[in-house]
Amino acid sequence: MTGFMDLYSERDTFLHRLDPRVKLLAVVTISALAFILSEIWSLLLLLAFILLLMALTGSSFRKAFFALKFVIRFMVLITVLWPLFDRSGTPVLFSIGPLDITEPAVWRGATSAVRVGCFATVWYILMFTTSQRDLVRGLTKLGLRFDYGLALAISFRFIPTFGLTIESIKDAQRARALELDRGSLWRRSKNYVTVLVPTVVTALRTAHMLSLTLQSRAYGAVRERTYLREVRMGPRDYVAAAVALLVFLLPAVAMYHFGVQL
Amino acid sequence: MIPHPVPGGPESVLRLRNVKFTYESGIEALGGVNLSVDKGEYLAIVGGNGSGKTTLAKHMNGLLRPSSGDILVLGAPASSRTVAELARVVGYVFQNPDHQLFCGTVQEEVAFGPSNLGLGPTEVQARADHAIDIMGLSHVKGRSPLSLSLGLRRRVSIASVIAMRPQVLVLDEPTTGLDAGEASDLMSIVRLLNEEGSTIVLITHEMKLVAEHANRVVVMAGGRIVLDADARGAFSDPGLLRSSKLLPPPVTLLAHKLAPIGVSKDVLTPEELVFELTRGGVG
Amino acid sequence: MIALKLEGVRFRYPGASEWALDVPSLEIERGEFVTVLGPNGSGKTTLSFLANGLVPKSVRGDFEGSVEVFGHRVSDYTVAQLSTLVGTVFQEPDSQLFCMSAEEEVAFGPENLAVPREEIAKRVEWALDVVGLKGLGHRPPSTLSGGQKQRLAIAAALSMKPSMLMLDEPAYALDPVGRVELYSILSGLKARHGMTVVVMERDAEDLVEFTDRFVLMSGGKVQAVGPPREVMGDPAALARAGVSPPQMAEVASLLNARRKGPPFGFLTVEQAVAEITVNAHRHTKGGSR
Repeated sequence: MTGFMDLYSERDTFLHRLDPRVKLLAVVTISALAFILSEIWSLLLLLAFILLLMALTGSSFRKAFFALKFVIRFMVLITVLWPLFDRSGTPVLFSIGPLDITEPAVWRGATSAVRVGCFATVWYILMFTTSQRDLVRGLTKLGLRFDYGLALAISFRFIPTFGLTIESIKDAQRARALELDRGSLWRRSKNYVTVLVPTVVTALRTAHMLSLTLQSRAYGAVRERTYLREVRMGPRDYVAAAVALLVFLLPAVAMYHFGVQL
Repeated sequence: MIPHPVPGGPESVLRLRNVKFTYESGIEALGGVNLSVDKGEYLAIVGGNGSGKTTLAKHMNGLLRPSSGDILVLGAPASSRTVAELARVVGYVFQNPDHQLFCGTVQEEVAFGPSNLGLGPTEVQARADHAIDIMGLSHVKGRSPLSLSLGLRRRVSIASVIAMRPQVLVLDEPTTGLDAGEASDLMSIVRLLNEEGSTIVLITHEMKLVAEHANRVVVMAGGRIVLDADARGAFSDPGLLRSSKLLPPPVTLLAHKLAPIGVSKDVLTPEELVFELTRGGVG
Repeated sequence: MIALKLEGVRFRYPGASEWALDVPSLEIERGEFVTVLGPNGSGKTTLSFLANGLVPKSVRGDFEGSVEVFGHRVSDYTVAQLSTLVGTVFQEPDSQLFCMSAEEEVAFGPENLAVPREEIAKRVEWALDVVGLKGLGHRPPSTLSGGQKQRLAIAAALSMKPSMLMLDEPAYALDPVGRVELYSILSGLKARHGMTVVVMERDAEDLVEFTDRFVLMSGGKVQAVGPPREVMGDPAALARAGVSPPQMAEVASLLNARRKGPPFGFLTVEQAVAEITVNAHRHTKGGSR
């Protein structure tokens, strides 16, 4: 599992320069839009729009592909599994034993898949273009208590570290003839218990040291701390925020007020 | 001194041939290493941080697999065996004992290794008890390993590896965090194991220890072996050591600096230096 | 001016039967480079927690006595307040570095003190420069080498502009060359910025040339205090403390045991070269032995 840092790459694109709060807003409005749209073609249009934005992130094709690989897999999974659970409607396309695969269910599965695709992809755009530091700063400016922002930041920071620690612990146990690479699933799961205890112990030790460190750096000394990194909304940000809102409002109004089928 | 590969004879326990290793990130950590270790040797692999010494050591029990080149452990290729299988013959002691300890008592912890070897319970207990005895842990065998001091935890970690009776013991910076007394005790135990027939590979940057204990020294820098010689030969070139981020023991440095007044450069311990100085009537 | 003053200090961890620290009196002068030397379990780490009040405010246990830093009673202030006077750097940088970039790490302290942004930026640049990490502000700590991480932890304490630095085994995982570099940086802080530096270590070998005074500890008690020649030249004190002398001190005692005449007192290779060659010349010149 990679950390936050691996997704973000430092570039100078329009999206990178936007205030993180605006980008968060866009994620919220686009996700909300994906939620309310019900027709597959409108969702596909939205997805296309999002992919266009993805192209604007300036990310290498390889990186974008790597991210989208997961999304596509997930989308395929949903499309395939949905009709197995939702068997209402006609006509029945074919049957697998007692399960009837109906045409409407397939469409509904595909629609949900595209919806999820929208959620996921727009989130990736946020992560590609916003450094963890800016994201947390944006959240604290929106009112998130710094304590939570710090907790979030520290978690991001330590995910790859703990990944490495766990690998190291696994190696240490393997070196005592513990087989973690072969054998039945049951046996291997049992063996992983030996990895759990050292991991927890290490985590607790690290947490303890971190707590002493935070105190030694005057954490919590004053109510209003200052920040080296500043995020400010410029005219471009306000315009982008307005666009983000309209992207949701226009279709929403069309649907609920004018009854347009979207 | 130019390192030359020693053909692995019948006594060879480890043989690495032209081993290269590159991390996923593209960084080449080992650039063509040739090393052969015979049974009963006490070998020190030294180098600064980033020299590749730990990377090299991890190839000895399969923790890392070479990008190219081959590795023979006890005459058979390492590539077809898992780490757990190789652990039966090559014991690897990690620098951080807390990455291994998880049992309720020291007794259980030390028995863990042998219990993975498919031995009967009496044999497992016998091996565990023997290891606890050698490592001087009898007085704490009922206690929880996590409640012990670092020096004792490290001893528990080593005991749990030697209880498997591997022929080769690789120790990764075993004296880190230990004070002089603890380090000295530990090194005496390791020497005892070597005298009883175990092949020892010591990874360290503490040159005083190396001078005192190892009979062969391999110096690494930049992912390559820059020197492979007996201990005295290794210390004869302080310049080489320094460029590998190492410092020879102070007595050796002093001997080199006093060479103009007739002191031999071949000095590894304080006793040898004092002998040299009083012999020459200088002291 | 006394930088650190301990009077009647005793501390015991919860459930322990013995005092982890039992120091009736100890004084460290402003601007000194003091090395607290002792084996594992001697109380050095506990001592390092005293100056900024972590013991007893955050680290629980039975505490007695008084601690003063630069004339201020530690018990009258919070850990946060004291951190502007005393910077504490712990063992193992990996659990002390928690930000995504070196710059953030160093900025964290001043940010918590509500220092104005422009001033923070200046301090960050200064601190990174002093420890030799200039230009590496944007790097994530995980990509730094062990030595660089250790130095970053120091920079993170320095940016709070303390007058004293307490460092618990700052050279823990460094190679020999890295160790000497680190101690040189600390020595430079003392020389150029008047910083009082207190280092806790197990091994004096590389520290002798930088230390003004040694404090030998064992079993929670101070066994000896004094300048290097005095302390290192006293094998009995060292043995009581369970500490090995630097190799050169060992050589000096071995030599002194088998000769007459003024005893050697060298502690470093340079000093040894000087004293031995002078002695050798005296023999060859005098010829009256």
